[in-house]
Amino acid sequence: MKKGNVLSLISFFGVWEVVGQWQLVDPLFLPAPTVILAEAWKLTCSGELFTHISVSLYRAGMGYGLGALIGVGLGVIVGWSRRLEEYVDPLIEMIRPISPIALLPLMILWFGMGNSSKVIIIFKASLFPILLNTIAGVKGVDIKLIQAAKTLGANQRQVFCKIILPASLPMVLTGLRISTALAMLAIVGVEMLAAESGLGYLLVEAERVFDTPKMFVGLLVLGILGYLWDRLVRFAQNRILLWHRQTTLEGEI
Amino acid sequence: MPLIDVHKVRKVYANGQGKNTVALDDFSLQVEEKEFITIVGPSGCGKTTFLLLVAGLEQITSGVLLFDGHPIDGPDANQTIIFQEYVLFPWRTVAGNIEFGPEVKGISKRKRREIIKNYVRLVGLEGFENRYPHELSGGMRQRVAIARALANEPKLLLMDEPFGSLDALTREAMQVELLRIWQENRCTVLFVTHSIEEAVFLSDRLVVVSSQPGRVKKIFHIPFGRPRKREIITSTDFVALAAEVKGLILEEENYKERINRWEK
Repeated sequence: MKKGNVLSLISFFGVWEVVGQWQLVDPLFLPAPTVILAEAWKLTCSGELFTHISVSLYRAGMGYGLGALIGVGLGVIVGWSRRLEEYVDPLIEMIRPISPIALLPLMILWFGMGNSSKVIIIFKASLFPILLNTIAGVKGVDIKLIQAAKTLGANQRQVFCKIILPASLPMVLTGLRISTALAMLAIVGVEMLAAESGLGYLLVEAERVFDTPKMFVGLLVLGILGYLWDRLVRFAQNRILLWHRQTTLEGEI
Repeated sequence: MPLIDVHKVRKVYANGQGKNTVALDDFSLQVEEKEFITIVGPSGCGKTTFLLLVAGLEQITSGVLLFDGHPIDGPDANQTIIFQEYVLFPWRTVAGNIEFGPEVKGISKRKRREIIKNYVRLVGLEGFENRYPHELSGGMRQRVAIARALANEPKLLLMDEPFGSLDALTREAMQVELLRIWQENRCTVLFVTHSIEEAVFLSDRLVVVSSQPGRVKKIFHIPFGRPRKREIITSTDFVALAAEVKGLILEEENYKERINRWEK
């Protein structure tokens, strides 16, 4: 972390702690960070927090993984074939604006209250950025790269594997990164509405008994998880795309 | 039999709004094996179009275009093109770029390593095998592009203003380099440029193309022996020849201007 990052975090939580300790705001609404940490420690020791995290991560991971698999697979095919895009485009544009949460009642009807309905919702939430970025990535491949490959003797399949795929990878990975945040957003919503476990459930449960510190623990964990997930994808992105990073603005920063 | 036989080729681009552009018309040219041909002409005269046709990346509208006695019906490893912007594969190292052609041909890894070694040496990039294109200068990138094309052992090398984006000094150095490489490899070269000096210096024959529509206006036989030294460009013969070519091209430019004035 850079100096500015640390300073910003310290001052933010410092001011908050002062407000909490002096009770400038009713602790029912805003408990001090130390109180929240104590609560977090308690929940960790009892194993409750771990259970909720693992359940949420399992659902989010499954849905996201499915979204990545199908998003990239379908995106590559659709981007490659102009014909297919004609057929798929209206469907994509119609399903895309529907909020993932709005699908919940139907999914419960179809798949019941278990994990599958939640996984499907997360899948829906993470699919589209991946799909659309992949399509754009494939379509955006420089025609000259393809021409160069062809005049070097590459056939259609080789152009696809050796040119289209690596050239569109930067866009694909950007889609994967955007979707991590969306998956996190969706999982909480779904768990708040229809679940007996998970971080979203933890939040609702805390609200029912006015356990504000617990609520904050839930939020804190969500923030940290989202951050770590994004870091992971970004790490992979940088490792895979060394060549790309240094030819674009990103390498300058 | 000439390696490339171009007979009354016509190429029309439809721009979608019913307006057609005739890029080439009645274009005829015979290129012999191992010849170094340069093509010059005013901008927009269809030089690049001609290269794309020979590369199989564009289709002729009418006429006959034979390569090795067969009509060209698509891109082929026998005709490799080198673009002005190098178009290296940025995710591949220098070695990875050079071995692309042999790789898609299915040549074994061991043999490819040998090929890489040979062509890296040929273009003088020893020690840079594992660098990525973005780590190289423009001149070095174009060397990689040349090595990548030659590693494929094409019968014909098509070069579309390959040195156009290099600075003047690098450009001169690359011209000398190219001749040295060509002397060693001896494939047929079709070289498009807008630099008359470059064209005269490099080629066996120089083709001047007229503009709109492009057709062969005049073919010059370049009398200078090989191997050529850079010094010849200051000789009186060279200067006189370059001036004659320039005069022809300027004629074309003026001609174009007149037409433009009429249309206004």
